Amino acid sequence: MEKVFNEAKKAFMTGNETAAWAALAAGAEVMFGYPITPQNEIMHYWTRLAPKYGREFLQTEDEISAGFTVCGAVQGGKKAFTATAGPGNVLMQEPFGMAEAMRLPMLSIIQQRGGPSSGTVVYSQQEVTLTTFGGNGEGHRIVYSTATHQEIYDYVIKGFNTAWKYRFPTFILGDGYQAKMREPLELYSPEDKGIKMVDTYPLIGLPGHIGDGRDPQHLCNIYSLEEELYEVVMRVSAEYESISPELVEYQERECDDAEIIIISHGVVSRAADDAVTALRAQGLKIGCFRPITLRPFPAQELRNVIQKSGAKKILIAESAYGQLFRLVRQEIYGETVPIDTLFMPGVGIIDYDIMNKIKSML
Amino acid sequence: MEAYVGEYASGKSEIAINRALELRDQGRIVTLVDLDTVEPFYTLRSLKPLLEEKGLQVISFSKQDAFGLGETGAMLNPRARWALRHSGDIILDVGYGVYGARTLNLVEGAYESQELRVIAVINYSRPITGTRECIREYILDLGRVDAIVSNTHLGSDTNAEIIEAGNTEIMHVARELSIPVDFIAVEETFKDSMGLNISGIPIKYIHRYMPAAMW
Repeated sequence: MEKVFNEAKKAFMTGNETAAWAALAAGAEVMFGYPITPQNEIMHYWTRLAPKYGREFLQTEDEISAGFTVCGAVQGGKKAFTATAGPGNVLMQEPFGMAEAMRLPMLSIIQQRGGPSSGTVVYSQQEVTLTTFGGNGEGHRIVYSTATHQEIYDYVIKGFNTAWKYRFPTFILGDGYQAKMREPLELYSPEDKGIKMVDTYPLIGLPGHIGDGRDPQHLCNIYSLEEELYEVVMRVSAEYESISPELVEYQERECDDAEIIIISHGVVSRAADDAVTALRAQGLKIGCFRPITLRPFPAQELRNVIQKSGAKKILIAESAYGQLFRLVRQEIYGETVPIDTLFMPGVGIIDYDIMNKIKSML
Repeated sequence: MEAYVGEYASGKSEIAINRALELRDQGRIVTLVDLDTVEPFYTLRSLKPLLEEKGLQVISFSKQDAFGLGETGAMLNPRARWALRHSGDIILDVGYGVYGARTLNLVEGAYESQELRVIAVINYSRPITGTRECIREYILDLGRVDAIVSNTHLGSDTNAEIIEAGNTEIMHVARELSIPVDFIAVEETFKDSMGLNISGIPIKYIHRYMPAAMW
């Protein structure tokens, strides 16, 4: 496959365009998609770039189909992906569930938009619950929440490798602002950064005969007996829990002596970071913690931060009405530090919003 | 009358704002028009009060104009449709990349006007216009282009080398296609560090307004 960048280069672009270039650099072979704001330009740029690099695209009749075609393509050994948002994310939960059940290496980029329901196209962080736990039953998935264009680029590349290495559906969770915002980043070919792309391989149509040299490749999402399902769910859950410590990613800053720890994710964590800088300059002991993987959640790491800081309070800031809050609360069950919240559903959060809230908590 | 077209993040809005203010500073009456029908509430909305304070007439939606269509209706601001009938100078900020340039057909009189110039803003720091061949192909895709603004930058990571590399390539393509380059746009912080301009094309130092547009 043709190398996309012969040397690393700086570029200035939108987050959606960044995602398309990252998929290209990661060696994605095909995108299946259906238009929806605010992810449209991932498709637009992919369709402009794909023919030049011998890659493929299919616009399906809806998001259910886009998700299932990715499920099919990856079973054939193709490095395939999709991108969606909002009600498209709702429709894709069925194929995402199939990918969870059949352990399909599916990469999906979600650019969160506002809800409930259909036509609100603007920014929010309201798809956290849906993206992390949206499937029916109890499947397992890996969700990276990005904050910058550089991270969109880095994590789309990483996401393909995570999906193909661990065989769990993997998500890059952005939002309407990250999708549309313009900022500089570095574009590169993974091999030039020492990143080896995990080889893809067909999951079906394997050589040889079942029972004569190889076992059946039993990719299954239906079970006839309760006990069958029980065994599968227990086995996959145990496997997921065993790999979780090597999957979790987070950032913490100025937490060692922090009296208040701000927890936020995605683009809001940039505001938290700025707020910590400004509040520290004023002599206030404030730190911040940002889960990068929302699932698996860096729970032990957050507990450690709470313990070592002896923080008196936690502030959870999000552009939603409590989705990160619920996630954090369940993950640190048993900790007694009081939690305060700054919920701004659908609205962007800047450093001043967080600073004002912190000052009201002192 | 000038319509600024170009790729996402090429700098159309920044150039349109700076050009409108430049004309305003000459004592002219200037109307700045947000002609993004796909994201009609984004580009200039949050800057509108500031720009009006500076003496521009701004045709752009405001928060109180929102009426809940979401993505179910691509909206053309009725005042934008008739913008070319305003007296004074008209600057159109045409959003949404190649497809956006086609939005001009929604503006009454755009194709008949003898005065309207369609000006492509090109940023060499974008891979889609990051080589000579790509720039040429891109400009040809745009359709009618009467002039070019060379606007190579990397946001807060801009440096003089990248500006000069961009200018060289953009100028080369402009000569090939026989399209005039109206000016080279450079962020004002580079006023003292830019090398000698040997091309004879004016350099305009621009102030960045768009970073303040947090929607």
